[in-house]
Amino acid sequence: MAVEARQEGRTVTIFEGVSLALEAGEIVDLVGPSGSGKTTLLRVLARLHSRTSGTLLLDGVPDGDIGPVAWRLAVALVPQKPVTMPGTVRDNLLLPWTLKAREGQTAPSDGELRELLSFVRLDDVGLARDSSQLSVGQVARVALCRSFLTRPKVLLLDEVDAALDSESASAVAAVVARLALDGTACLRVRHRPPDGLAARRVKLADGALSEEAV
Amino acid sequence: MGATTGGVTSIGGAELLIASLLMLVAGFASYRMKLGMAKDIVVSMVRLFLQLLALGFVLRWVFGNQTWWLVLLILLVMVASATQIASTRVTKAPGGLKPAMFLSLFVTGLTMAFVVTGLIIRVKPWYGARTVIPIAGMILGNSMSAMAVALDRLFADMDSRTDEILALTALGATAREAAQRSIRNSIRAGLIPTLASMAAAGVVFIPGMMTGQILAGADPLEAAKYQIVVLLMVSASTTACNMLAVLLTYRRRFDVEGFFIEAGMRDPEEGTRRGLKPWFGKRSNSKASR
Repeated sequence: MAVEARQEGRTVTIFEGVSLALEAGEIVDLVGPSGSGKTTLLRVLARLHSRTSGTLLLDGVPDGDIGPVAWRLAVALVPQKPVTMPGTVRDNLLLPWTLKAREGQTAPSDGELRELLSFVRLDDVGLARDSSQLSVGQVARVALCRSFLTRPKVLLLDEVDAALDSESASAVAAVVARLALDGTACLRVRHRPPDGLAARRVKLADGALSEEAV
Repeated sequence: MGATTGGVTSIGGAELLIASLLMLVAGFASYRMKLGMAKDIVVSMVRLFLQLLALGFVLRWVFGNQTWWLVLLILLVMVASATQIASTRVTKAPGGLKPAMFLSLFVTGLTMAFVVTGLIIRVKPWYGARTVIPIAGMILGNSMSAMAVALDRLFADMDSRTDEILALTALGATAREAAQRSIRNSIRAGLIPTLASMAAAGVVFIPGMMTGQILAGADPLEAAKYQIVVLLMVSASTTACNMLAVLLTYRRRFDVEGFFIEAGMRDPEEGTRRGLKPWFGKRSNSKASR
């Protein structure tokens, strides 16, 4: 897979010949110097960025055979900058079920929402709390929970624990581990020290991807 | 159109000269306060004279020689000019918006113009230039300003919501769903001036067309009814035009795959086109007459 970008009027190759496979239930960490294209790689995998060449396969089905929205329901990216939309915490957590793509699907119950919130140490945040009153760390966890609840096949986490204290970060890691047990493949961009969850670590540097010893 | 010439005092060359002297006030201010606008003032004045006197001659000729195709041709030129002016007022927008802007103005503006002239004023013949051209002009002028505000707001709003749009798209939102809040904000922004002028009409100011009719000797009540029709048609067509223009264009900021084309992904050439071309003057808040 290759991605090019235009910078200051020139075409620059961000990475090239990159190939990566994720198994169901596998947690893989993606590391590399800043600016190496980790975020871009995640966005390409979620079909949120154009690419110059390459094919993406989901359970052996090429991306050309799956619509972009359907693809993103299965391959969920949690962006680096977490955001909440205007409304309550509940509104934010249930947002995915207000979209046309999930029409007719049952949204999780309040009980499920509360259970997940307490799992990521947000017990004190009520479902009726206005999202504009949340701290940065709380926003990050609410945004994460929102994607967790959709139970995607592939979860792409872009430095989502950057804004968290280490206690919350390990709580988030525990939820990731729980999803992985249910078969979600997870690719994490992380800058924290390894937490022992990842089966593999891959490094993106100088436009190429390489396997690193865990 | 009632009494059109009865009460009008004819203005000659001397009167125009006196009026021109009024602009010396602005010129003096520019000189004393070093505004550096002397050139702009002169250029604007010259344009005012040339454009409106030319318009007077053209309209006089058209009213004398009106045919349906000539009226339609003039309307097309008006729509094209409105498109051109509106497009220079929309900054930070992707290229290629003009066809959508033209279409929005054309469809909503001309439909509304002919509804008003045909069903309400009942002009005979239907292309009666003396009515159709001024009515279409009021509609297009207002729609043009509102559309420029709405589109400018649309793309600025989407840019400011880049992170939110990414999050929504990543959760499975379509381009339409991801853009929805900006679409709503922009249509709202485009409507505010029109609604404000409807609310203020008759209290804060006498609307332009009513002023004109009263100066021309018309009965104030008749002029008021005319003005009501005009303000209603202007707000209706403005709303329709904004909605159409915004819905036809928001997708230009989205990739075929449905993700938002963020600032970093755009062609660096784009967006350098800031401000106005000199021919259309400085960015101003001048409104078309209502």
